Amino acid sequence: MIAMLQRITCVDHIKIDSVSFSSIFQIGDSEQIQAISRALAVQREAEIFFDNEGNFNAFPIFSEAIPFQPADEENVVFSTHNLNPVLKVRNIDILGASSSSVVHLGNSRNIAMEARVKHIRQLLPRNDKTNGTNGED
Amino acid sequence: MNFQVYNRDICVGDIRVIGVSSSSLLMVGDAETIQLAATFDTPSESLIVGPFVPLSPDIS
Repeated sequence: MIAMLQRITCVDHIKIDSVSFSSIFQIGDSEQIQAISRALAVQREAEIFFDNEGNFNAFPIFSEAIPFQPADEENVVFSTHNLNPVLKVRNIDILGASSSSVVHLGNSRNIAMEARVKHIRQLLPRNDKTNGTNGED
Repeated sequence: MNFQVYNRDICVGDIRVIGVSSSSLLMVGDAETIQLAATFDTPSESLIVGPFVPLSPDIS
Protein backbone atom coordinates (compact mmCIF):
# COMPACT_ATOMS: atom_id res chain seq x y z
CA MET A 1 0.00 0.00 0.00
CA ILE A 2 1.09 3.54 -0.60
CA ALA A 3 1.05 5.14 2.79
CA MET A 4 2.32 8.58 1.96
CA LEU A 5 -0.42 10.15 -0.08
CA GLN A 6 -3.31 9.35 2.15
CA ARG A 7 -5.42 11.67 4.13
CA ILE A 8 -7.94 11.04 6.85
CA THR A 9 -11.56 11.69 6.01
CA CYS A 10 -13.59 13.29 8.76
CA VAL A 11 -17.33 13.60 8.18
CA ASP A 12 -19.39 14.82 11.11
CA HIS A 13 -22.79 13.82 9.78
CA ILE A 14 -24.04 11.90 6.75
CA LYS A 15 -27.58 10.98 5.77
CA ILE A 16 -28.44 8.73 2.80
CA ASP A 17 -32.12 7.97 2.30
CA SER A 18 -31.72 4.94 0.04
CA VAL A 19 -28.94 2.75 -1.30
CA SER A 20 -30.35 0.45 -3.94
CA PHE A 21 -29.59 -1.85 -6.89
CA SER A 22 -26.11 -3.07 -5.88
CA SER A 23 -24.91 0.28 -4.66
CA ILE A 24 -22.42 0.57 -1.86
CA PHE A 25 -21.95 2.96 1.02
CA GLN A 26 -18.39 2.43 2.12
CA ILE A 27 -16.94 3.93 5.29
CA GLY A 28 -13.21 3.37 5.52
CA ASP A 29 -10.43 2.73 3.05
CA SER A 30 -10.61 0.30 0.18
CA GLU A 31 -8.14 -1.12 -2.25
CA GLN A 32 -10.05 -1.75 -5.45
CA ILE A 33 -13.53 -0.90 -6.61
CA GLN A 34 -15.07 -2.19 -9.82
CA ALA A 35 -18.71 -1.52 -10.57
CA ILE A 36 -20.78 -2.33 -13.64
CA SER A 37 -24.37 -1.36 -14.28
CA ARG A 38 -26.36 -2.55 -17.28
CA ALA A 39 -29.88 -1.43 -18.04
CA LEU A 40 -32.46 -1.92 -20.75
CA ALA A 41 -34.86 0.97 -20.37
CA VAL A 42 -38.04 0.08 -22.24
CA GLN A 43 -40.90 2.51 -22.46
CA ARG A 44 -44.21 1.43 -24.01
CA GLU A 45 -47.11 3.66 -24.82
CA ALA A 46 -49.50 1.10 -23.34
CA GLU A 47 -49.09 -0.82 -20.12
CA ILE A 48 -47.77 -4.09 -21.50
CA PHE A 49 -45.07 -6.09 -19.80
CA PHE A 50 -43.71 -9.41 -21.01
CA ASP A 51 -42.13 -11.30 -18.17
CA ASN A 52 -39.39 -13.15 -20.04
CA GLU A 53 -37.86 -10.53 -22.28
CA GLY A 54 -34.64 -8.62 -22.47
CA ASN A 55 -31.39 -10.23 -23.44
CA PHE A 56 -28.25 -8.17 -23.08
CA ASN A 57 -26.42 -10.33 -25.64
CA ALA A 58 -28.77 -9.12 -28.38
CA PHE A 59 -27.43 -5.58 -28.14
CA PRO A 60 -23.77 -4.88 -28.90
CA ILE A 61 -23.74 -1.83 -26.62
CA PHE A 62 -23.55 -4.19 -23.65
CA SER A 63 -20.52 -6.06 -24.91
CA GLU A 64 -18.51 -3.54 -26.91
CA ALA A 65 -15.16 -2.68 -25.43
CA ILE A 66 -14.61 0.73 -23.89
CA PRO A 67 -10.90 1.35 -24.38
CA PHE A 68 -8.89 3.22 -21.79
CA GLN A 69 -5.44 4.65 -22.01
CA PRO A 70 -3.38 2.89 -19.36
CA ALA A 71 -2.82 5.23 -16.45
CA ASP A 72 0.87 4.37 -16.10
CA GLU A 73 1.62 5.35 -19.69
CA GLU A 74 1.38 9.03 -18.82
CA ASN A 75 4.80 10.52 -18.39
CA VAL A 76 4.08 12.56 -15.28
CA VAL A 77 6.14 12.86 -12.13
CA PHE A 78 3.49 13.19 -9.49
CA SER A 79 4.17 14.39 -5.98
CA THR A 80 1.67 15.25 -3.30
CA HIS A 81 2.34 17.07 -0.04
CA ASN A 82 -0.40 16.72 2.50
CA LEU A 83 0.25 19.74 4.68
CA ASN A 84 -3.05 19.19 6.42
CA PRO A 85 -3.77 15.46 6.28
CA VAL A 86 -7.46 15.81 7.15
CA LEU A 87 -10.37 16.17 4.72
CA LYS A 88 -13.15 17.67 6.77
CA VAL A 89 -16.82 17.73 5.80
CA ARG A 90 -19.50 18.89 8.20
CA ASN A 91 -22.58 17.41 6.58
CA ILE A 92 -23.54 15.22 3.58
CA ASP A 93 -27.14 14.69 2.54
CA ILE A 94 -27.94 12.27 -0.30
CA LEU A 95 -31.43 11.25 -1.36
CA GLY A 96 -30.43 8.09 -3.16
CA ALA A 97 -27.62 6.00 -4.49
CA SER A 98 -28.66 3.55 -7.19
CA SER A 99 -27.48 1.17 -9.92
CA SER A 100 -23.98 0.10 -8.88
CA SER A 101 -22.98 3.51 -7.59
CA VAL A 102 -20.67 4.08 -4.66
CA VAL A 103 -20.62 6.59 -1.84
CA HIS A 104 -17.18 6.35 -0.32
CA LEU A 105 -15.75 7.96 2.79
CA GLY A 106 -12.08 7.12 2.91
CA ASN A 107 -9.26 6.39 0.56
CA SER A 108 -8.94 3.92 -2.23
CA ARG A 109 -6.43 2.84 -4.79
CA ASN A 110 -7.95 1.80 -8.10
CA ILE A 111 -11.51 2.63 -9.01
CA ALA A 112 -13.29 1.65 -12.22
CA MET A 113 -16.95 2.36 -12.74
CA GLU A 114 -18.95 1.47 -15.84
CA ALA A 115 -22.55 2.09 -16.90
CA ARG A 116 -24.29 0.89 -20.04
CA VAL A 117 -27.85 1.96 -20.75
CA LYS A 118 -30.00 1.29 -23.79
CA HIS A 119 -33.29 3.03 -24.28
CA ILE A 120 -36.07 1.48 -26.37
CA ARG A 121 -39.40 3.16 -26.98
CA GLN A 122 -42.40 1.33 -28.39
CA LEU A 123 -45.33 3.41 -29.53
CA LEU A 124 -48.81 2.36 -30.57
CA PRO A 125 -49.50 2.20 -34.31
CA ARG A 126 -50.38 5.57 -35.72
CA ASN A 127 -53.80 5.47 -37.44
CA ASP A 128 -53.64 8.20 -40.01
CA LYS A 129 -56.12 6.64 -42.47
CA THR A 130 -59.13 5.07 -40.75
CA ASN A 131 -59.75 3.96 -37.22
CA GLY A 132 -58.20 0.52 -37.72
CA THR A 133 -56.30 -0.61 -34.69
CA ASN A 134 -53.39 -2.34 -36.30
CA GLY A 135 -51.35 -1.79 -39.40
CA GLU A 136 -47.72 -1.30 -40.11
CA ASP A 137 -47.86 2.32 -41.23
CA MET B 1 6.04 16.69 -16.70
CA ASN B 2 6.24 17.49 -13.02
CA PHE B 3 2.97 17.72 -11.17
CA GLN B 4 3.11 18.91 -7.59
CA VAL B 5 0.12 19.18 -5.28
CA TYR B 6 0.06 20.87 -1.87
CA ASN B 7 -3.02 19.83 0.04
CA ARG B 8 -3.64 22.48 2.67
CA ASP B 9 -6.80 22.86 4.74
CA ILE B 10 -9.84 21.41 3.02
CA CYS B 11 -12.93 22.04 5.05
CA VAL B 12 -16.35 21.61 3.44
CA GLY B 13 -19.61 22.70 5.05
CA ASP B 14 -22.56 21.01 3.37
CA ILE B 15 -22.77 18.53 0.47
CA ARG B 16 -26.33 18.00 -0.74
CA VAL B 17 -26.90 15.51 -3.55
CA ILE B 18 -30.21 14.30 -4.99
CA GLY B 19 -28.93 11.15 -6.63
CA VAL B 20 -25.82 9.11 -7.27
CA SER B 21 -26.75 6.62 -9.96
CA SER B 22 -25.61 4.39 -12.81
CA SER B 23 -22.12 3.52 -11.61
CA SER B 24 -21.43 7.00 -10.30
CA LEU B 25 -19.04 7.72 -7.48
CA LEU B 26 -19.21 10.21 -4.65
CA MET B 27 -16.01 10.07 -2.69
CA VAL B 28 -14.49 11.98 0.18
CA GLY B 29 -10.94 10.76 0.18
CA ASP B 30 -7.95 10.08 -2.00
CA ALA B 31 -7.58 7.62 -4.84
CA GLU B 32 -4.74 6.61 -7.05
CA THR B 33 -6.67 5.94 -10.26
CA ILE B 34 -10.29 6.50 -11.16
CA GLN B 35 -11.70 5.24 -14.45
CA LEU B 36 -15.27 6.07 -15.40
CA ALA B 37 -17.05 4.83 -18.50
CA ALA B 38 -20.61 5.19 -19.65
CA THR B 39 -22.41 4.25 -22.83
CA PHE B 40 -25.90 5.50 -23.42
CA ASP B 41 -27.72 4.35 -26.52
CA THR B 42 -31.03 5.56 -27.83
CA PRO B 43 -30.71 5.20 -31.60
CA SER B 44 -33.44 5.82 -34.13
CA GLU B 45 -33.99 2.06 -34.53
CA SER B 46 -34.94 1.91 -30.88
CA LEU B 47 -38.11 3.90 -31.56
CA ILE B 48 -40.55 1.22 -32.62
CA VAL B 49 -43.95 2.29 -33.88
CA GLY B 50 -46.30 -0.61 -34.37
CA PRO B 51 -47.69 -3.57 -32.52
CA PHE B 52 -45.93 -4.30 -29.26
CA VAL B 53 -43.41 -7.06 -29.71
CA PRO B 54 -41.41 -8.47 -26.86
CA LEU B 55 -37.68 -7.96 -26.83
CA SER B 56 -35.61 -11.03 -27.51
CA PRO B 57 -36.13 -13.38 -24.60
CA ASP B 58 -33.78 -13.80 -21.72
CA ILE B 59 -31.82 -16.97 -22.46
CA SER B 60 -29.19 -16.91 -19.77
